[in-house]
Amino acid sequence: MDEKVPRSEIIETEIPLGTVHPAALEPYRVRLFVEDEIVQEAEITIGVNHRGVERIMEGLPVEKANALTEKICGICSNAHIWNSCRTAELGLGIEIPERAKFIRVIMGELERLHSHFLYLAHGCEVLSHETFSMRVFYMREIVMELLAMIGGNRVQYGCSVLGGVRPRCDLDEAKLLRLKNDMDALEEGLTGFVDRFMADSILLSRVTGIGVLPQNQAIELAVTGPTLRATGVARDLRTTMFEYDDFDFNVITQPDGDVKSNLVMRALESFESIKIIRQAIANIPEGKVVNRDWEMFDTDISESYIEVPRGTLYHSYALESGRVRHSIIRTPSMANIGAMQYACIGDQITDAQLCIVQCDPCFTCTDRAIEIIRR
Amino acid sequence: MLENTIINSVIAVIATVLVCFIISTFLPGIERKYIHARIQQRIGPKVVAPGIMAPIKFMFKENVEVSSPVPGLYKSLPIICFIVVLCIFLALTPEAYMIPALASLVAIVGFLKVEEICYVLMGALSKSVMSVNMPFPDQIKGAVHNNATRSFIEDISAKRSLRMITYGSFPLYLALFAPVTAARSVFLKDIVAFQQVNGPFLFTVAGGIAAIVFFIGYMIILNEYPFSIIKAKSDVIEGPYMEYAAKYRAVVVLTRGFFMFTLGAVFSVLFIGVPPTILSWGILVNVAVALIFVFMMGIFSAFSPVFTNRQLLPTILGATLLGILSIVLGLL
Amino acid sequence: MGLKSFSRARAIHVMLVYTGGCNGCDIEIVNSILSPRFDAEQYNVFLTWNPREADVLVVTGPVTHLNRKPLEAIYEAIPNPKLVVAAGSCALMGGVYKNCYGDIPSEEIEGPVENIIPVDAKVPGCAVRPQDVLAGVVSLLPTLLDAD
Repeated sequence: MDEKVPRSEIIETEIPLGTVHPAALEPYRVRLFVEDEIVQEAEITIGVNHRGVERIMEGLPVEKANALTEKICGICSNAHIWNSCRTAELGLGIEIPERAKFIRVIMGELERLHSHFLYLAHGCEVLSHETFSMRVFYMREIVMELLAMIGGNRVQYGCSVLGGVRPRCDLDEAKLLRLKNDMDALEEGLTGFVDRFMADSILLSRVTGIGVLPQNQAIELAVTGPTLRATGVARDLRTTMFEYDDFDFNVITQPDGDVKSNLVMRALESFESIKIIRQAIANIPEGKVVNRDWEMFDTDISESYIEVPRGTLYHSYALESGRVRHSIIRTPSMANIGAMQYACIGDQITDAQLCIVQCDPCFTCTDRAIEIIRR
Repeated sequence: MLENTIINSVIAVIATVLVCFIISTFLPGIERKYIHARIQQRIGPKVVAPGIMAPIKFMFKENVEVSSPVPGLYKSLPIICFIVVLCIFLALTPEAYMIPALASLVAIVGFLKVEEICYVLMGALSKSVMSVNMPFPDQIKGAVHNNATRSFIEDISAKRSLRMITYGSFPLYLALFAPVTAARSVFLKDIVAFQQVNGPFLFTVAGGIAAIVFFIGYMIILNEYPFSIIKAKSDVIEGPYMEYAAKYRAVVVLTRGFFMFTLGAVFSVLFIGVPPTILSWGILVNVAVALIFVFMMGIFSAFSPVFTNRQLLPTILGATLLGILSIVLGLL
Repeated sequence: MGLKSFSRARAIHVMLVYTGGCNGCDIEIVNSILSPRFDAEQYNVFLTWNPREADVLVVTGPVTHLNRKPLEAIYEAIPNPKLVVAAGSCALMGGVYKNCYGDIPSEEIEGPVENIIPVDAKVPGCAVRPQDVLAGVVSLLPTLLDAD
């Protein structure tokens, strides 16, 4: 892999972009330090979105707190409520019915699909390729309809509850059939899109070798999720999660760490998600979807890590007479900010937003992170 | 007798300009609805919406104070642009051929240069709220370079326009001069006359190559998608046009449509030998050429991302070489 | 219907400002304008990112402290007549974040949007559905058409 262009000491101008910008879609500020249209240094300022979710969670009954975690992020909302429930379940030792486990996996993978499709669409939009962006948005609608069918809402589904999933999210035969048919349609559409994308030499020239994040740098910056896997490190938390024990899937990696690797990575991972959903539909066990047979007691701080579409998500809290204490949430974009800043360096200003987008930022997630300083 | 001729020609020119102007207002809508929206598998806006209704709507908006160091100059620039485009169009009408200084390629190239310089000035004078002026306390953060000058996104746009003047518009000018090599004259009168005798220049080898180069130059000077680095949405949002509101934005939108038509007319004069005039059926050729150009541009722009400097330079270099080839072929 | 109303009904430019919601509304709104499924352009609603071009400002999120001034600046930059649509429960009433610190007054959340700029239409929902956003923008049409 080629080394990055060394940073120049000469800084001509500083260009601030944000907090409202067409390529960003989220309020954040990025300051680009530029020499002759080449970005020498990038600085992302977050905190614009700070709303203090963890503070609101403090002292809430755990069921309410779980519902609240969903409002952290509108993209991976299911992942937050899933992990929050998982934290309490691990702490209280609640057994989850097998069927609920499968439904959670289906929801998680559907969410991964919609997040990755959003990534592809947003990436194409930042490339100013409106047509491809629209094509992906069109495919994404299929996933959104499925999510609305299962959860009842297009964005915040509230699928997981303590001990399983909400009974409304149970999948009957008709829903499973529709899920199965839509997966076929989705696979066909995505295959067509990927073929078109990889055959488009103009687009490829635009994304190859842009925003390179070398593997050693990615490890140094503690990057997580698909952004890490796009640099060639096969690290996926799903391989260690007990929910995924019954499923057979591959951990996709890409060698280069540039925008092209990231885009291809997301597309290939979507195929894996489709594969997982198909296995879940085929093998879904019968039975109840929620286990109400558990008792509340005070717990020590319990923590849970899961793999969400953007990387590793960490939730932890203690329970005290049914209420949440010491809540800490760490979202994947927190770790990826360093990668975003690094990826911008050495590229054109026009590519800077693309380099940020390639790390799949979600600053609304990130903006309630608490910095832990160990002394 | 002489007076009558002058009055008649003036009326003919005004009628031509009016008819062509009205047709030109449909072009942005046609591009948006029938090309982009159809390719993107959606219904798209009404044909009249982007080109006609939007400017009329802007006319009725309240005029705001422009955030610019020289508001007067900044506001006058779109009007200058419009007048320049009008002058190019007037130079193409057969009635103008009796004024050789106007109806020559040198004049047209000069007008196009004025148009390009206007982009630079617009970019340099616009100070929009979207970048430095955004009231956001980010300077107190521990930046690595605290003393760097802060630029507006339009400043980058101005620098890019300057760059486009130096090399970006080369293909268009080379293509404009290709017919000169065949007709051996820079006056439009002679070019038209030559083609009426020898058939359209388009159907010769040199003409065919020059037409391709002209099309690339057409997209570059119109800042359409692959070449829209001056107003790329991913960094400079709308570039030079950021601060225009109300009436001035209406002029900007109208100028763009008219410029599309005028460049089509330039092509039909230089490559087919049909000047735009209401007095002959030849005007249908002008309209057809303008439509074909808009169609082709729409298709190209719907299927390509925005080019950065990295892709722009080779593309323009290639187009320039093709242009030189066509001129050499024409000379041979 | 005069020329003014006629032209306004056929070209509506919408600008979006996100003021710190959860991203849900933001993406649904962009989705409603960008995706071919909902395609707001067929109703002549165009998405713009330039406040000078906009007629309708769609605001989502509870307006965090750092977002207050940018929102005001952008609102100021839009030439009259301008209308504001507040979309999503955060923008309407602060959502779940409003009582962030209980009875202690919060400096973090400045919202709802009404406290900062005048709001003409409210679109409820968490997250708003694309159909509702389109309906909200369309419901503003009579006000927009009759404005000076």
